[in-house]
Amino acid sequence: MSTPGSSALLQIRHVTGFVYDGIAESSYNEARMTPLALPRQRVIDALLTVHPKALQSTYRDYFDTIVTTFDLHEAHDRLEVLAEATVETFSENPNQPSITFGSLHVAKLVDTYAEYLAPTTRTTMSTIVLDELREHVPPRDDIHETVQAVITWVRDRVTYVRGSTLVSSTAQEVWAQRQGVCQDLTHVTIALLRSLGIPSRYVSGYLHSDADASIGEMVVGESHAWVEYFCGDWVGIDPTNGSGIGVHHVIVAKGREYGDVPPLKGIYNGGPSRSLGVVVEITRVG
Amino acid sequence: MMITSTFIDIDPSQAWDEVFSAPGVPRPIYKEIVDILQNFNADDLRFRFDQLGRTFSERGVTFALGGEERPFPLDLIPRIITAIEWGGLSAGIQQRVHALEAFLNDVYGHGQCLDDGIVPRALITSSPNFCREAKGIVPENAARITVSGIDIIRDETGNFRVLEDNVRIPSGVSYVIENRRAMTQSFGSLFSHYRVHPVDEYPARLLRALRRSAPEGVRNPTVVVLTPGVHNPAYFEHVLLARLMGVELVEGSDLVVMSNNVHMRTTQGERPVHVIYRRIDDKWLDPLQFRPDSIVGVAGLVNAARAKTVTIANALGNGVADDKLLYTYVPELIRYFLGEEPLLDNVESYRLGDAESLHEVLENLEKYVVKPVDGSGGKGIVIGPQADERTLTELRAILRGNPRGFIAQRTVALSTVPTFVDNHLAPRHVDLRPFAINDGEEVWVLPGGLTRVALPKGALVVNSSQGGGSKDTWVLADETLAPTPPGAKAWTRAAAHSVAPSVNGSVRQPGPAAGSRGDQ
Amino acid sequence: MSRGMLSRLAELLYWTGRYVERADDTSRIVDAYIHRIAEDPFGDLNAACHSLFAILGMEVDASIPINQETVLTQLVYDQLNPSAITGAVLAAHENARRAREVISSEMWVCLNSTRNDLGLQRREAERVGPASYLKFVRDRSALFAGLTDATISHDETWWFLVLGRSLERIDMTARLLESRLLAAEHSPDWLTLLRAAGAMESYLRQSTGGSDPEAIAAFLILDRSFPRSAYHSLTVADRCLEDLTRAGARSDVVNQARRTIRMAQTRLEYSDPRSLLSELPELLELLEQTSAAANDQITSYYFRQIAAVVWEAEGAT
Repeated sequence: MSTPGSSALLQIRHVTGFVYDGIAESSYNEARMTPLALPRQRVIDALLTVHPKALQSTYRDYFDTIVTTFDLHEAHDRLEVLAEATVETFSENPNQPSITFGSLHVAKLVDTYAEYLAPTTRTTMSTIVLDELREHVPPRDDIHETVQAVITWVRDRVTYVRGSTLVSSTAQEVWAQRQGVCQDLTHVTIALLRSLGIPSRYVSGYLHSDADASIGEMVVGESHAWVEYFCGDWVGIDPTNGSGIGVHHVIVAKGREYGDVPPLKGIYNGGPSRSLGVVVEITRVG
Repeated sequence: MMITSTFIDIDPSQAWDEVFSAPGVPRPIYKEIVDILQNFNADDLRFRFDQLGRTFSERGVTFALGGEERPFPLDLIPRIITAIEWGGLSAGIQQRVHALEAFLNDVYGHGQCLDDGIVPRALITSSPNFCREAKGIVPENAARITVSGIDIIRDETGNFRVLEDNVRIPSGVSYVIENRRAMTQSFGSLFSHYRVHPVDEYPARLLRALRRSAPEGVRNPTVVVLTPGVHNPAYFEHVLLARLMGVELVEGSDLVVMSNNVHMRTTQGERPVHVIYRRIDDKWLDPLQFRPDSIVGVAGLVNAARAKTVTIANALGNGVADDKLLYTYVPELIRYFLGEEPLLDNVESYRLGDAESLHEVLENLEKYVVKPVDGSGGKGIVIGPQADERTLTELRAILRGNPRGFIAQRTVALSTVPTFVDNHLAPRHVDLRPFAINDGEEVWVLPGGLTRVALPKGALVVNSSQGGGSKDTWVLADETLAPTPPGAKAWTRAAAHSVAPSVNGSVRQPGPAAGSRGDQ
Repeated sequence: MSRGMLSRLAELLYWTGRYVERADDTSRIVDAYIHRIAEDPFGDLNAACHSLFAILGMEVDASIPINQETVLTQLVYDQLNPSAITGAVLAAHENARRAREVISSEMWVCLNSTRNDLGLQRREAERVGPASYLKFVRDRSALFAGLTDATISHDETWWFLVLGRSLERIDMTARLLESRLLAAEHSPDWLTLLRAAGAMESYLRQSTGGSDPEAIAAFLILDRSFPRSAYHSLTVADRCLEDLTRAGARSDVVNQARRTIRMAQTRLEYSDPRSLLSELPELLELLEQTSAAANDQITSYYFRQIAAVVWEAEGAT
């Protein structure tokens, strides 16, 4: 567990890509795999390597995510992207001041955070479930307590099971099958929080999942997703672990849902493709 | 003055008629035309009408209605706008375009007007046309709306009002050009009685504006017109504009983006492209950013625009200003961004997301025109006074379920113009789509525009895709004003030439005297 | 220096040229065979038809019987197969339609009205025999060729049309002559072939060989000035490529297609007219290969299209 004032220096190695049945003649791609510079994390170094080699270009998108684009025009049978970063994370003051639940419904605030209150493709939930939510989790005046209660309820109803869903799975589908991965638990939580009028957003990044690992020991980590909710300020919470966000979390991008921040997306012209999967290795070096 | 049975009488209590101020009493500017038409009987009119149709068919001017190519009927009676009326209209249009430009710039930039509560943020962020990919893409000459079509109507009191803003891919200017050409060929004698502003300057102006929007530092920018292809209903217009501007007409597969540079595939290798006048909607433009199943788009185009190696005209994301709900806020946008009062009013409109408005409209549905917020081509519009009870009942249910998806407007009786139908000249409702070009420094409004006619009697939806027709639109050049600006070719009165030369006994009509047509 | 036309349009023109020529030449070959069949009612109809299908590249298994009806259905009236006469006309029409803006309106009207008249012509042929349909196609092809020469500028637009026409003609002339190699006793004789190529009068005027097969073969393959001779078509194709190269900015890149064509020309130049018949199989194969290779080289050099790219979202499976 992290203590106030502590920090961590993490080295991340994230490999992903696609392999084609046959070859791809050309492809156009966007990678969102570069950690953000934020008050709670300092990016010391970040490098993206693409194979086959391609000229890279960078921009900041609507959600301020660092996007690296590249296109390939020679025939190739696989595309591999390696993101390496060294990030120093700082833990935040746990005593976050917060506005009351009631003030969330002031018109001005509702207007300002309209995008994070509206349902999206992956964060839509049926009214039946939302009604159930209100029964089981009557909103309290303290937003943090309400959020905790929602997450407890979600973790009670949906179990983390690797490979149980698709990248396109919606909150409704996940709820029905009662299983999901971190992306899904995040979508479900966001759907529920939004229905209560709590602006929420999707955070993608990394988690060094072994707090007991020693310095220099490489841990197979995760491409991870969690929630940030608004309570006067944006606060992070991890529905998969039921914990807060600490120095073992590294933030890459924030959006309304997964669709706004896919780590690697692209189009190509060629035989059927499938994902190379994702390998994330994190080493705490300080 | 006697009006023969050629003209079917108007009813001034129904609508403002452009030609007649009272039954049998033509307005001063139409007097000459009415005099001429008086002497025509139904056969003469039919002959002229068919002649117009033939001119069009020969040139292949058609549009596709339901997959079939049809000639777009041009009616022989022009619609005339005086110089003074035009001065007011064009100033109002310029103001409107400036306000929408400022709005789009803000919405895809700092969002100040949203912070200041001028427009609800949710309206923008929930609009399907709000293009998040457009954030950070600022056109070089700051013109996002290179071409606009601000649709205008005239209400029962004779006032011009804005019906709708079209700032994505407004079409129809090819008909303006072809209508004028057909009229001068078939009905040239009419022109000798009036000084009408020519419309042939449009392609040159458009090309100039497009070139000005090229990325900085490019000495001789290559401009192309990007078309979805032969199956598009407006294909004819794409071909015409490319030809008149002297630029290449390309399809998506002709272009390739390599490391953020756009090239055209030619037999001599790849040639760089700097400005794309695209006639393809945002969603189909770039399979990397939008619909991956688009075969008409160009992969990587948006990022090239972002890298400022190519300009996309009109800019990405303009559709958020096309939203009919946003339309109701435009007068406030004019005040907010320009600090001016709107020169042209909207049609009185009601936002059904507002409970009071919704209640009033539901109670009196038969009095209102209800429009879907994100509709086009006139689809989905219900005209209360003309709808049957069943339609109204269904509509009430739809509105209760999705009030934010609709606006309601007072049913305006659009002005009418005598139109050739069933061997008579009978009043039919019209609207006007003037075209404006923004080159970054000034907004130029094409003198004229497309007057669209709803051919069925009493019909109020005037749209080419709903089986309408059009009229040549004449903006008169005012002799009392300053001499016509250089480049504008005004028609001079052909008085000296009006004696028809007789060749081998046949009489040839004097055509337009001075101005050359410019293009072929 | 030309700026280069859009590759897509160039390719459409090239194929329009090819398909019109194909319709024309196929009609000539089929006509020659029908003529042959009519002249010899006791001959082996089945064998003759089989060899006809074979030389048109649509070989049919020897065990399947073919008669004139099959020939008409599959080689003449079939609308979908672009190697059938009607199919070729329709293919030419479709290509031209998409390149309509760069050909003359007269050329377009010619192809469009040809297409529109096919049905009428077919009904007529069912009444009076297929010869009228075949003649109709040849006449319209001639009209198109005439309009091509007279109503568009002889620039890139024209070069690609003529290039397509020439390469197709080389290939089709080879096929015409191939009929003398396959089942020769069931195929049209040399004089019929000469007539089919429209070459009778020209041949007679310049030759001394009478109906000597060697002389006829030499005329149709080697003659420098007769338009349907293989050598002449090679020359025309080479000239088009030369003009295209000169007009362009890519002189540094070797034009493979020119080399292919010139090599064929050289081979023909060095052949001995007196021993032509013995070399015939080799020469005909050379001509067909040259046409095919040049086609591929031209396609990759000038067109290089990945037509209608269909994009997939990555990782979809």
